[in-house]
Amino acid sequence: MKKHTLFIALLMFIASIANATNEAYEKAMLKEIQALGKAGPVSELQKSANSFARIAEMNAGEWLPDYYAALAYANMGFRTEGGLEEKDGYYAQAKKHIEKANAISPNNSEIVAVEGYIIMGELAADSNSRGQSLSGLAMQTFGKAIGLNRQNPRAIILMAQMEYGMAQFFGQGPEKACGLVGSSLELFAKESSEAKEGNLNPTWGKGMAEEMKERTCK
Amino acid sequence: MKALFTICLFFLVNLTLAQTTIKGIVKDNKGETVPGVNIFLKGTYEGTSSEVDGSYELETDETGKFILVFQAMGFKSQEFEIDLNGSAQTFNPILKETINEMTAVTITAGAMEASDEKRAVVLRPIDIVTVPSAMGDIIGAFQTLPGTANVGNDGRLFVRGGDASETSIFIDGMKVGNAFGTTASNVPTRTRFNPNLFKGSFFSTGGYSAEYGHALSSALALNTVDIPVRNQGDISLMSVGVGYSQTLVGEKNSLTATANYMDLSPYQAMVTQNFDWERAPYGFDAEVSLRQKWGKSGMVKAYAHTESGGMKIWQKIPGSEGRGQLVDLKNHYTFTSGSFKQIGKNDWSYYGGISYSNNVDEFTLDQIDIRNQNQVIHGKAVALKGFSDKFSLKTGLETYLFSYEEGLKSENLIRDFNDFHANIFTEGDYYVSNKLIFRGGLRAGHSVLADQTWLDPRFSLAYKFENEGQVSLAAGQFSQMPVEQLRIASPEVQNTIANHLILNYFLTKNGRTIRAEAFYKDYKKILTYEGTQYFYRNIQQNGTGYAQGFDVFYRDQKTVKNTDFWVTYSFVDSRRKFAQFTEMVQPGFAPRHNASIVVKHFVSGLKSQLGGSFAINDGYTYTDPNFAGQMNAKTKGFRDLSLSWSYLPKPNLIIHFACSNVLGRDNIFGYQFSPTPNESGKYESLPIRQTAPRFIFVGIFLTLSKDKTANNLNNL
Repeated sequence: MKKHTLFIALLMFIASIANATNEAYEKAMLKEIQALGKAGPVSELQKSANSFARIAEMNAGEWLPDYYAALAYANMGFRTEGGLEEKDGYYAQAKKHIEKANAISPNNSEIVAVEGYIIMGELAADSNSRGQSLSGLAMQTFGKAIGLNRQNPRAIILMAQMEYGMAQFFGQGPEKACGLVGSSLELFAKESSEAKEGNLNPTWGKGMAEEMKERTCK
Repeated sequence: MKALFTICLFFLVNLTLAQTTIKGIVKDNKGETVPGVNIFLKGTYEGTSSEVDGSYELETDETGKFILVFQAMGFKSQEFEIDLNGSAQTFNPILKETINEMTAVTITAGAMEASDEKRAVVLRPIDIVTVPSAMGDIIGAFQTLPGTANVGNDGRLFVRGGDASETSIFIDGMKVGNAFGTTASNVPTRTRFNPNLFKGSFFSTGGYSAEYGHALSSALALNTVDIPVRNQGDISLMSVGVGYSQTLVGEKNSLTATANYMDLSPYQAMVTQNFDWERAPYGFDAEVSLRQKWGKSGMVKAYAHTESGGMKIWQKIPGSEGRGQLVDLKNHYTFTSGSFKQIGKNDWSYYGGISYSNNVDEFTLDQIDIRNQNQVIHGKAVALKGFSDKFSLKTGLETYLFSYEEGLKSENLIRDFNDFHANIFTEGDYYVSNKLIFRGGLRAGHSVLADQTWLDPRFSLAYKFENEGQVSLAAGQFSQMPVEQLRIASPEVQNTIANHLILNYFLTKNGRTIRAEAFYKDYKKILTYEGTQYFYRNIQQNGTGYAQGFDVFYRDQKTVKNTDFWVTYSFVDSRRKFAQFTEMVQPGFAPRHNASIVVKHFVSGLKSQLGGSFAINDGYTYTDPNFAGQMNAKTKGFRDLSLSWSYLPKPNLIIHFACSNVLGRDNIFGYQFSPTPNESGKYESLPIRQTAPRFIFVGIFLTLSKDKTANNLNNL
């Protein structure tokens, strides 16, 4: 009887440790994903990126912490008012994290979409001289992300932005881009209706689609 | 029961709160605070970030021994052992900067880089192919850059008072023999390679790395595209020919096959020519390019290019009647290369390869048949080791096999030579900080034929100012064997030698680039001789010379919307005793004042890019035998205005129109004189002119691929 109790207690103890790590991961992730969603200036994004980098260190087998760290750094590149060197510095960090995420979870549509998002940032930072070499690469990367998961609204809205840029460059109408905006909004709606409590998977990008619809596709 | 109690106690201990506060301020080695530093306890979720003022505060419930880590972009990580026991602790670390390859100072003396990836670049690859006066020739674009001279009756690259043979051309690090098409005298040539092949280039007008040898004045390194982005077919229909290229891309490899045919006959039938053509230039070329990724970070490239062509032209002889001398020229050329690069463990990386160039020229001059064959085999292997982020060392081995044969077929006279060169070079880069770098290199070589061993030291440094501008200084010795046409007549000749000294200022910021450079170069052991090719006599190696001057380059992509322009001015004061000259003269290929302007403007409404380029110099020296002295006369200045219009009606279709010398100026590059005076004692002359008043190019480029926005822009 004694032995039995001891055994059960030990089992409970081990389970509690295992649970604790998992719970700690989920708790930390939920908190930081919320913080990232609210982060405005570069300094807040940097804190968010740091937090995800710390979580990534603790959870070598999870792709999400590195994914969000990359997203935070990419957003820093887009939002900073600094020069080209600073922007490229953030994109370099973003690439480092997204490569790590990609190694953990290859052929993941979400990861590939952020890869393209980073390329889009590098392009936007110096479009005069990078346009020719990077616009094709960005579109190709978004194409790959959509190919991996046709239900990924983020890949679709990012592709819509590239399509719109190309159409403007060649003096064409925004119809094709707006078609993509429409389908991304449908997928965003579906995504939020299906979202469960405590979801850690990416859900960002809806604002981008709504804004684009308002601005260009009325 | 006792055991259960122990376990319960254990849980309780786990829950006990023993909070420790760690705080401080993070600074860098200049004493400035560092915000956004990631501060955490290794192996835990506990962590924070430093604030804008560098301060931080970390509260933790952990107890015991831990490692406290400070991590930030651009700095080395720092770790401290820490014992968490509930009492507050203060850490004020000073972070040391790491050398950031992207933003650190780079040596720009002599160098002009075109790259999409790097920072201290003058141009992007796309800019090169859209220069209006270039007409799709990569060298035409380099002729709008500082330090070069426009020699319109030759077409090759002349750098800072040096002749065209003083520039060595490399593709993926491998030497290209006879990079320019063979042509008749005073008929300009072009490079053999399509600009579309290249993703970037490194063009140095002096003071270059010990990696580049067998080049007296200049090195041009062209880097080919790694893996193209998509499967596509490219069709080109041009006023001078047709071409097709197919690209197939796999997960880890790619294949591109291209074939082109060109014939200027229909064009010349429509547009007036200055020259008397019997058969307009014609030719075909075919090339295959294979790329294979090697492991995670390596790449293997194989490339083969072959072409065949010819022309027949009547060249007038001054002082005599009639069409003159008929030159019948056929050329066969092959270039193949294989190269690799790989990143190893422990900061080692490797690259190298092998190339083979084979050029066969068959001339018929009047009744004489001549056949020349030039072959070059180049092998290279380089290892690069980064000992820290501050110091790296590059060491390489290079071999050259030169083989040249020339023969008067009708006389059954053939002569040839073979030479083997072994070279070793080593070069160290030392970053004192992100702002200051030193580079020192040594290059040693040995030629079997000349039985000569040599050692070329090279040195450079660069310093970057707070405003991102930078100065660089480069100096060194450069050796090159004389051209094969002279070596065959005198196989014992030794290296020609040049010393370079270059001071450079470079600033690129907000879409504007300023580059200014001053240089001094001296020449030793230049060859002097009498006679002409096949009949050189009295070859001696006692010529000397110098070139000095400065050049400025300004590029602006910001000031005028949708407009990119650059302005270049080069001043070259060059004199040398060389070739048939018995005293120091200003060479005919080294005009003193050279300037050019290139403007490109994109008009969205017209879906068009409009381009214009204007080049001007103060004329070419020549010797007029009717007066005393050598190089005693100068032509009127060269002027050329070229315009281009690229129309993109659909993303995958480009219609390109370009015209050189729109103003129709009769540019003269020198004069040919009759060998003997006429009855009144005067040497009669004929001007050396352009092949035609204008060159007009029309092309339609269509790209077929799944991605409808892909286009052929690089082909222009």
